[in-house]
Amino acid sequence: MAKKQDNAAIDIRHYDVIVGPHITEKSTLLSEHNAVVFKVAGDATKPEIKAAVEALFNVTVTGVNTMVVKGKTKKWKGAPYTRSDMKKAIVTLADGQSIDVTTGI
Amino acid sequence: MQTVETLNEGLKRGYKLTIPAKDIATVVDRQIKATAPQMKMPGFRPGKVPANLVRKMHGPAIHQDALNSVVQDSVQSLLAEQKLRPATQPAVELDTGYEEGKDAELAVTLEVLPDVPAPQIDGLKLERLTVAAGDDEIAEQIGKIAAQSKRHEAAAEGHPAVEGDLVVMDYKGTVNGVAFDGGTGEGMSVELGSGRLIPGFEEQLEGVKVGESRELNVTFPKDYPAKELAGKDAVFAVTVTEVKVPAEGAIDDEFAKSLGLTGLDQLQELIKGQIEQELNGLTRTHMKRKLLDQLAEGHDFPVPPSMVEAEFAQIWQQLEHEATHEADVEAAKAELEKDRDDYRAIAERRVRLGLLLSEIGQANGVEVTQAEMQRLIAQAAQQYQPADRERFAQYVQQDAMAAAQLRAPLYEDKVVDFLFGKAEISDRAVTRAELEAAIESEDGFASGTHHHDHGDHDHGAHDHGDHDHGDHDHAGHDHDHDHAHQAPKPKAKKAAAKKAAEPADDAVKADPVAETAEVEAKPAKKPAAKKAAAPKAESEEAPAAEKPKAAKKAPAKKTEA
Repeated sequence: MAKKQDNAAIDIRHYDVIVGPHITEKSTLLSEHNAVVFKVAGDATKPEIKAAVEALFNVTVTGVNTMVVKGKTKKWKGAPYTRSDMKKAIVTLADGQSIDVTTGI
Repeated sequence: MQTVETLNEGLKRGYKLTIPAKDIATVVDRQIKATAPQMKMPGFRPGKVPANLVRKMHGPAIHQDALNSVVQDSVQSLLAEQKLRPATQPAVELDTGYEEGKDAELAVTLEVLPDVPAPQIDGLKLERLTVAAGDDEIAEQIGKIAAQSKRHEAAAEGHPAVEGDLVVMDYKGTVNGVAFDGGTGEGMSVELGSGRLIPGFEEQLEGVKVGESRELNVTFPKDYPAKELAGKDAVFAVTVTEVKVPAEGAIDDEFAKSLGLTGLDQLQELIKGQIEQELNGLTRTHMKRKLLDQLAEGHDFPVPPSMVEAEFAQIWQQLEHEATHEADVEAAKAELEKDRDDYRAIAERRVRLGLLLSEIGQANGVEVTQAEMQRLIAQAAQQYQPADRERFAQYVQQDAMAAAQLRAPLYEDKVVDFLFGKAEISDRAVTRAELEAAIESEDGFASGTHHHDHGDHDHGAHDHGDHDHGDHDHAGHDHDHDHAHQAPKPKAKKAAAKKAAEPADDAVKADPVAETAEVEAKPAKKPAAKKAAAPKAESEEAPAAEKPKAAKKAPAKKTEA
């Protein structure tokens, strides 16, 4: 939140768009390509994600790819149910920039 | 690592260590590398967590660990570099302003073991006072046993009962003409003069003959347990059915068989064995004391104050504890207070002798084997519930201190045995009285030496204390102390000695306890074994030899054990 000034307005909505970092083996491999993986809100669009990341982390975003990870179908006492879907965003940053994913927003 | 000596005074040493941040960092890195393969984190397969993430997540904890290990290593290397033998666990203080990424500054203070001069163990001369178990003694012992198992035989017709006879009777008791509960019985046997019945009852039975009936007028004592009878007058109508006189405790095969043995010969053998064991214990005690006296005489070196302090604290605690059992606690404490310096000197002597013995043991490769250790543990475990024994054994195996405590007394004994082997021993047959006198006299006046041997173990301890005073100090004040103390003590000492002499088993069992206490007192790990040995010996001695007062008994036992 310290980075407000640079990208002007941090909308409260930005915090809703970015749910959290997605830290896995695969996502750490992506860091070699200067990309960071976030969980994002299910209704977030690529432009919204780009705006939110730029505002919150004070970086320049060159691309956003998103995908929806479908929730698994599970069973509990024989009754099937589905886990919530999750939207993942792979955000590519401009060369030389980085985000420390382990420090929360 | 930079080392600066800040203190070098007597046996105390102080150092200031500076550990560069770089060193700490390399240790942290190494540790992270070592732990990463075992890490688990959601999103990663086990062991696939990247090092930088590990550092982020667990950095501070790892750093703390690393710092600790670096500090320990550096203290160890300091000891190795300076060739220090710590008597106490070094006190390490980290500079208060320390932060991660800075050089760490440590202040280390410790006490070192004195350089024990190579002990002279050649040319020791010892006299072994041996006592043969005499027939008289055996007969006396058997007589005692016989007296304990009294037999009665039917008396001749018309024999009037006298004190000591057994009277069998039927009786009916009434109070004011009314029979009371429990006042009627048949075939009760009473030994006249034993005082087991209401006062007056037995006396009035004297002179009674078989078949005779009497009325006994007695008064229940005021504190009689049955309240409705207390203080009341009662009349007992008694009919005597039998009078038995005590049989002479004939000592024959019959008697031995009644004890479960095959015959009188076996009984005599047994008793002889017991007496010999006791005498051997005495002999050994005496030799050990002499030995320690000689050692103490031949060596004088400074000992670490903290060890003396620990030893003294232990003695003192025991004394105070004993004082609380005295009739006049205040007086007993005041008395203790007076002798404080003496006890301190004893503590010092014990520490010194302990160091000396361990040094001798080390120099000559005296070791306690694994098998012996197992035996010790098993013995010590006896005092616990069966369920806890297993746990105790484990505890001992894991805890170096506990093991050292157990090992110490045995180690001391072995060293003493070793020295016995080295020494020139001349045998001299004496009587039991002479032997006891020798042990006592030493305690009593001879300056240092005598004291030593009370209990075997204890002896050592005792002796140390005493010896040290006297011996070391030959010239000095100590003599005086010793004399004074000792003179009154002999009795106590004797008792101690005897106890000590008692079967080894007891000693062994007891030891663990004593030792533990001692051990605890001792500070450092390495030295623990040595110290333990020493302190024990000392502690043991101390109580026996030193305490002139009532306390003695108890301490002596402990020590010996």
